[in-house]
Amino acid sequence: MTFTGEFLAFMILALVAIIGGVLLLNLNKVVHMVVALIFTFISIAGIYVLLSAEFVAAVQILIYSGAITIIMLFGIMLTRPYDESEEKGSRWRKAFLFLGVVGFGFAVYIGIYNFPIDQVPTTLHENNPMQIGKAIYSKYLIPFEFISVLLLVALIGAIIMAKREEKGAEEE
Amino acid sequence: MSSIPASAFLALALILFCIGLYGALTKRNTVIVLISIELMLNAVNINLVTFSKYGAAPSIDGQVFALFAMAVAAAEAAVGLAILMALYQRKKTVHIDEMDEMKQ
Amino acid sequence: MMENAWLIPLFPLVSFVILLLFGKRLKEAGAYVGILMTLASLVFSILVLFERFSEPSYIQKFEWLKIGDVSLTAGFEVNQLNALMLFIVSLVSFLVHTYSKGYMHGDGRFPVFYAYLGLFTFAMLGLVISPNLLQTYMFWELVGLGSFLLIGFYFYKEEAKAAAKKAFIMTRIGDVGLFIGMILLFWKTGSFEYSEIFSAVEAGGISQTMITLTAILIFIGAVGKSGQFPLHTWLPDAMEGPTPVSALIHAATMVAAGVYLVATMFPLFAASKTALLTVATIGAFTAIFAASIGLVQTDIKRVLAYSTVSQLGYMMLALGSAGYVAGVFHLMTHAFFKALLFLAAGSVIHAVHTQNIEEMGGLWKKLKWTAPLFLIGTLAISGVPLLSGFFSKDEILVAAWEGGHPILFVLALIAAFMTAFYMFRLFFMVFTGEARGNQNHVHESPGSMTLPMLVLGVLAIISGYVNTPWFGSFLGDWLVDGNEKLGHGHMEGPIWIMIAATVVSLAGIYLAWLIYGKRSVSRNWLSGSGDTLHTILYNKYYVDEFYQMTVVAVTKGISYFLRFIDVFLVGGIVKGVVGFVQGLGATGSKLQNGQVQTYAAVAFVGLAILTVIFALTGGYLQ
Repeated sequence: MTFTGEFLAFMILALVAIIGGVLLLNLNKVVHMVVALIFTFISIAGIYVLLSAEFVAAVQILIYSGAITIIMLFGIMLTRPYDESEEKGSRWRKAFLFLGVVGFGFAVYIGIYNFPIDQVPTTLHENNPMQIGKAIYSKYLIPFEFISVLLLVALIGAIIMAKREEKGAEEE
Repeated sequence: MSSIPASAFLALALILFCIGLYGALTKRNTVIVLISIELMLNAVNINLVTFSKYGAAPSIDGQVFALFAMAVAAAEAAVGLAILMALYQRKKTVHIDEMDEMKQ
Repeated sequence: MMENAWLIPLFPLVSFVILLLFGKRLKEAGAYVGILMTLASLVFSILVLFERFSEPSYIQKFEWLKIGDVSLTAGFEVNQLNALMLFIVSLVSFLVHTYSKGYMHGDGRFPVFYAYLGLFTFAMLGLVISPNLLQTYMFWELVGLGSFLLIGFYFYKEEAKAAAKKAFIMTRIGDVGLFIGMILLFWKTGSFEYSEIFSAVEAGGISQTMITLTAILIFIGAVGKSGQFPLHTWLPDAMEGPTPVSALIHAATMVAAGVYLVATMFPLFAASKTALLTVATIGAFTAIFAASIGLVQTDIKRVLAYSTVSQLGYMMLALGSAGYVAGVFHLMTHAFFKALLFLAAGSVIHAVHTQNIEEMGGLWKKLKWTAPLFLIGTLAISGVPLLSGFFSKDEILVAAWEGGHPILFVLALIAAFMTAFYMFRLFFMVFTGEARGNQNHVHESPGSMTLPMLVLGVLAIISGYVNTPWFGSFLGDWLVDGNEKLGHGHMEGPIWIMIAATVVSLAGIYLAWLIYGKRSVSRNWLSGSGDTLHTILYNKYYVDEFYQMTVVAVTKGISYFLRFIDVFLVGGIVKGVVGFVQGLGATGSKLQNGQVQTYAAVAFVGLAILTVIFALTGGYLQ
C-alpha cells in the first residue's frame, strides 16, 4: 500500500467519522451528541467522494447533515424540559451489550478481512450526476415514483399523528 | 486505480454500524436512539456505494440504491419524530426505559 | 350343549357390567341381576355336566396370536374335571349370591358387592374352562383381583385393607412361581396347550430335572392360591371380608383353584416322583399344621379358615400320593360342606353380631335352621360315616397308604382326629351350654339365607355317594375315563383304614364333647402341660411374626435404602432441575419488562452469539 494523497484523505475522513461516533456515545448533553454526529455525516460524504459518488455525497450533506440533524435538534428542543443526563441504565447490561457488539464486529470483520475482489476500472466519476439521472429516470423510474409516494405518505402521517395526539392531550 | 482496498471502506462501515448499534441499544434518550439508527443506515450506505465501485460488476446501481435508502431514512426520521412527539405529549418523557406500554 | 359352554362365564360378566353401569339405580334390586345370571350359569353348567356324562370331551379354540411358528390360541375346553368344576363353582356362586341378598341387606355398597361377586365368578368359571396354560394364568390373576376386591370390601376397616393387600401379595409370590414354570414349559415344549405339554412330557422330550422343576414351580403357584404351608397366612386374615365371600372364595372356588391347577397338570406331576412327593409332603404338613392352630382359635371364622387350609392340605396330599380321584372328590365334597359351614357361621354372626365363640353358646334353640345345618356340616367335615366327608377322606387316606408314605398317612390320621376335635369344639361352644354373651336380639336369618344352606346341607350329606366303596365308584371311573395317566377310578384299600378313620373322628368328637359339651374334663386339660403350647398354637406358630422379622424386615431395610436414594439422589436431581428451570423462568419473566430496547438487545445478543459461532467454525458445525 502506497502512501498517497487519496489514502491520507481516507484516513482523515475515517478518523473523523469514528471520533464523531465515539463522541455520540460518550458526550453528556444531547445537543452535543447530535453536533458530534454532524462531523460523522460530513466525513461520510467525503468518503463518498473518494468512492466516485459525488452526487450521493452532495445528497448526504443536504439530507443528513442538514435536514435530519435539524429535525432531531427540533425534537430535542421540543422535549427539552425533561432532557436529563444519561448514565442511568444498568452497567451490567452495557458491558454485556458491549461484548456482544464487539463479538459481532469481530465476526463480521473476519468475513470482510482480505475481501477477495478484483478491482475493475470504472467510469463512475465521469459525469456522475448524469449517470445517476439516467439510471433513475430510465431503469429505476417506478421505484423512484414509489419513493415520492412514500415521502408524501410519511409527511401526511407525521402531521396527522402529531395533530391527533394534540387533541388527545387537550382532552386529558 | 485506487490505492485504498475495499476492505478499508467495509471496515469503516462496520465500525460505524457497531457504534450506531451500541448507541441504539443503550441510550436512554429516544432522540439519540433515532440518530443512532440513522448512523447505522449511513454505514449501510457506505457499503452500497463501496460495492458500486469495487464490486465484481461495478455500476451506478449501488449509488442509486444509496439514494433510495436516504429517502426512506428521511421519511423514517420524520415519522419517528412524530411518534416521539406524540408519546412525549402523552407520557411527558423521552426516556425509552419508561416506555413499557408493551407490558400492559 | 357343550359347544356353548363358553356362555357360562359370560353370564356373571354381564351381571358385573350391568351392576357396574346401573348399580346405583338398581340399589338392592341388583341382587336379582346377579342371582339370575348365576342361575343361568348354573343351569348351563348342569346341562353341560350331564351331557359330558354321555359324550366325549369337547375342545374349541381359535388362533389368537401368531409369532413366527408359534401360535397362541384361546378357547375353551370341557372335560370331566372342567365340567365338574363348572358345576361346583356355579352352584356355590349361585347359592352365595342368594345368601348375600339377606346377609348384605342394608349395606350401602350393596350393588358394588354384587358386581365384585360377578367379576369373581366370571374369573373363576373362565379359569376352569381354559384349554391352555396361558389363558389359565390370565384368569388366575383375574381371580386374584376379584378376591382382592372382595376381601377388601370393607375397605374402611384397617384390618380388611391389610388383609386384602396381604392376600394379594402372598398369592402373588406363588403366581411368580407359576409364571416361571409356565414360561419354562413353553420354552421346552413350544406350546401352552395342556394336551401338547402332556404329550411332550410323555414322549420324553423334556429332561426329568426340568419336569420336576416346572412341576414344583407350578405347585408354588398352587401353594399361594390354596394357602399351603409357607404361604398360608393370608387365608385366615382374609376372613375380614364379608362372610359370603369367605364361603365363595375360601371354600369352593379360589382356594380350590390351586388344587384344580395341580389336578389339571396332574400328568406333568405324575411324571416326576420328586414333584409328587413334594406335593404330598407339603399337603400333609399343612393339614396337621393348620389343624393344630385351629384347635385353639376363638374366632368362629378363623377356625373355619384354618380348617380350610387343613382340608386343602388333605387334597394336596391326595394328589401328591397319586390319588387324583381322591383329591378331586374331596375338593367337591369339601366345597359343599365348607361352604355350608361358612354360610351357617355367617348366619350365626348375623344373629349375634360377634365372631368370638367365647361370647356365644346356647344358640341351638334360638337358631332352629342354622344349628342343625351347622351340625350336618360339622359331621361331614369330621368324617362321620355316611356323610360326604367320610367317603372322600377315606379315599385320601387310602391313597396316602397306597402311595407308600406311612408317615404321611399317620399325619393325615392325626389331622383327621384334630379336625373332628376342633370342629366339635366349635359346635359345642357355639350352640350348646349357657349363653355367655348378650343375646337379646338373636333371631333366625331370613329365607334367602337359610335356603342356600339347606341346599348345601343336602349336598353335604349325599354328595359322597357318587363315589363310595360300597355302591360303586361312579365319579372316579368317570373322571379317569379315557386317560389312564390319572390312575384308577377307585383305590382298593385295606378295610382297617376305614375303621381307623371312623375311630379317630369319633374319638375327636367324644373328646370335644367331654371338654366342651359335658364339661367333665377341664378346658385346661390340653394346655395342662404348660401354657407354652397353647400360646404357640394361639399365635399360629408365630409364622406371621417370623415373616415380619425376616422377609418384611429385610424388605423394609431395602425400601429405606431405596427411599434414601429416592429422596436424596433422585429428589436432589429433580430439585436441582426444578430450581434451574424456576430461575430461568424468573429471569425470563424479568426480561418481559415491556421495553422494546431490552427485547432488541436480547435478540441482538443472540444474533451476535450465533454470528461469532459461525465465524469461529467457518460456517460449519462439526
